[in-house]
Amino acid sequence: MLGAVEVKMLKAAQPDRPDALTWVFLGLGLLLLPVGLYLALAAPPDVNQGYLARIMYLHVPGAWLGYLAFFVTFLYSLLYLFRQDPRYDRVALASAEIGLVFMGLALVTGMLWARPTWGVYWTWEPRLTTTAILFAVYVGYFLLRGAIEDPELRRKAAAAVGILGFINVPISYLSVKWWRSLHQTQSIDLTTGKIHMDPAMLQALLFNLFVFTLLYLGFVRFRSLLAAIEDRQEEA
Amino acid sequence: MRVPAKGWPQVAGGGRVGGVKRVFLLALRDLRLEVRDRSGLLSVLAFFAVMLFIMALALGPEEGPLRRAAPGVLWVALAFGSTLLSTRAFALEVEENTLDDLLLAPGGKEWIYFGKLLFQMLLLLPLALLSLFMAAGLFYLPLERLLSLFLTLALGVLGYASVATFYAGLLSRLRGREVLLPLLLFSLVVPVVLASVRATLGLVEGLPLGEVAPWWQLLLVFDVVYLTASALLFPLVMEG
Repeated sequence: MLGAVEVKMLKAAQPDRPDALTWVFLGLGLLLLPVGLYLALAAPPDVNQGYLARIMYLHVPGAWLGYLAFFVTFLYSLLYLFRQDPRYDRVALASAEIGLVFMGLALVTGMLWARPTWGVYWTWEPRLTTTAILFAVYVGYFLLRGAIEDPELRRKAAAAVGILGFINVPISYLSVKWWRSLHQTQSIDLTTGKIHMDPAMLQALLFNLFVFTLLYLGFVRFRSLLAAIEDRQEEA
Repeated sequence: MRVPAKGWPQVAGGGRVGGVKRVFLLALRDLRLEVRDRSGLLSVLAFFAVMLFIMALALGPEEGPLRRAAPGVLWVALAFGSTLLSTRAFALEVEENTLDDLLLAPGGKEWIYFGKLLFQMLLLLPLALLSLFMAAGLFYLPLERLLSLFLTLALGVLGYASVATFYAGLLSRLRGREVLLPLLLFSLVVPVVLASVRATLGLVEGLPLGEVAPWWQLLLVFDVVYLTASALLFPLVMEG
């Protein structure tokens, strides 16, 4: 028989509720999200692009978080392989899942912006292509996770994909950059279309980056907890 | 007692065998089994032939466009066809339940990865060379710079096989490995395909070697990075 103290200790070791920090991240993020949207909509329109530039306030945080999340997955995959503690794998999983959502957001908003600006939804620009490749890698990551029944093999295999997928980023960026520059006469350079930012716009952008990062932290902690509960049910 | 895997060369006394020698023993054993079996090799070769033929029909018959498309077609054919062989790197071990025996051998586990990689290279390189000749015939490719073309093939195939062998080992015990492998592999080897296609195109169009060399460097960087990463990760992932 377990005494009340033991039950309490067990609960502390295997929490089934998000802790205070998770609530702080999530609550603050959700509270500040409308503020960020207000700032984005109140910021002055761009001289060249007009109101179209406002998509940036969603696009840039999305892309930033996509890359940040996959980098976190990379780190925690490494940690998992060396320490063999399932907690690291759960963080890697949570971060990859949220990264996939944010990166999808970045790709979609990017395409919506590209159509009126460049006249096409898609162009083989290095940053776009690298992002698309990374997106495909992490779709594979989840297909792989879904295909493996054995929990330990699943974690190890996923960790390997998380690591190999991320070290591909600089190499594929370089390869696409050269691939385009050698044979394409007409090119749309993102740097020439660069927005010279008004302080108000920059402030709004930085604020949105901050809010999205808070949300990301909250989401990752929350999703890791869900993964822990899932793991416990799988074992039981 | 450990039962030697089928076709494993007998080592006197079953004593300890050095790492490099192990790599060669494993690769040559696998190669012998694969060549004896023939069906896998022949089907991949037939796949290359049919694919190149169909692509030539689809893109032809003018000489210019065909020659320009040839490197892309060749490397896409190589990438698709090679996945048919990649799963075979570990398929036999799993079928015969010998993978655990390999993993139980004392010492590091990297040599298994290098042995399987060498086996894949010994299979893929001759096949790649043959498909280059087929492409030369069907797509009017000039073969004057055969040595440089071969270097491109070797660097590209090595980059491809380094990732493919690792994933084949990782997925070896899964049922859906034939579908999963290309899914995971193709997004990773984009740089290999890009660089190989550009290098091949440059060689075929007669660009000076100085303009082709950056692509070789890129391939070399990819090869070194992925060889190192895979060899380091392989023991961590395969140990049960």
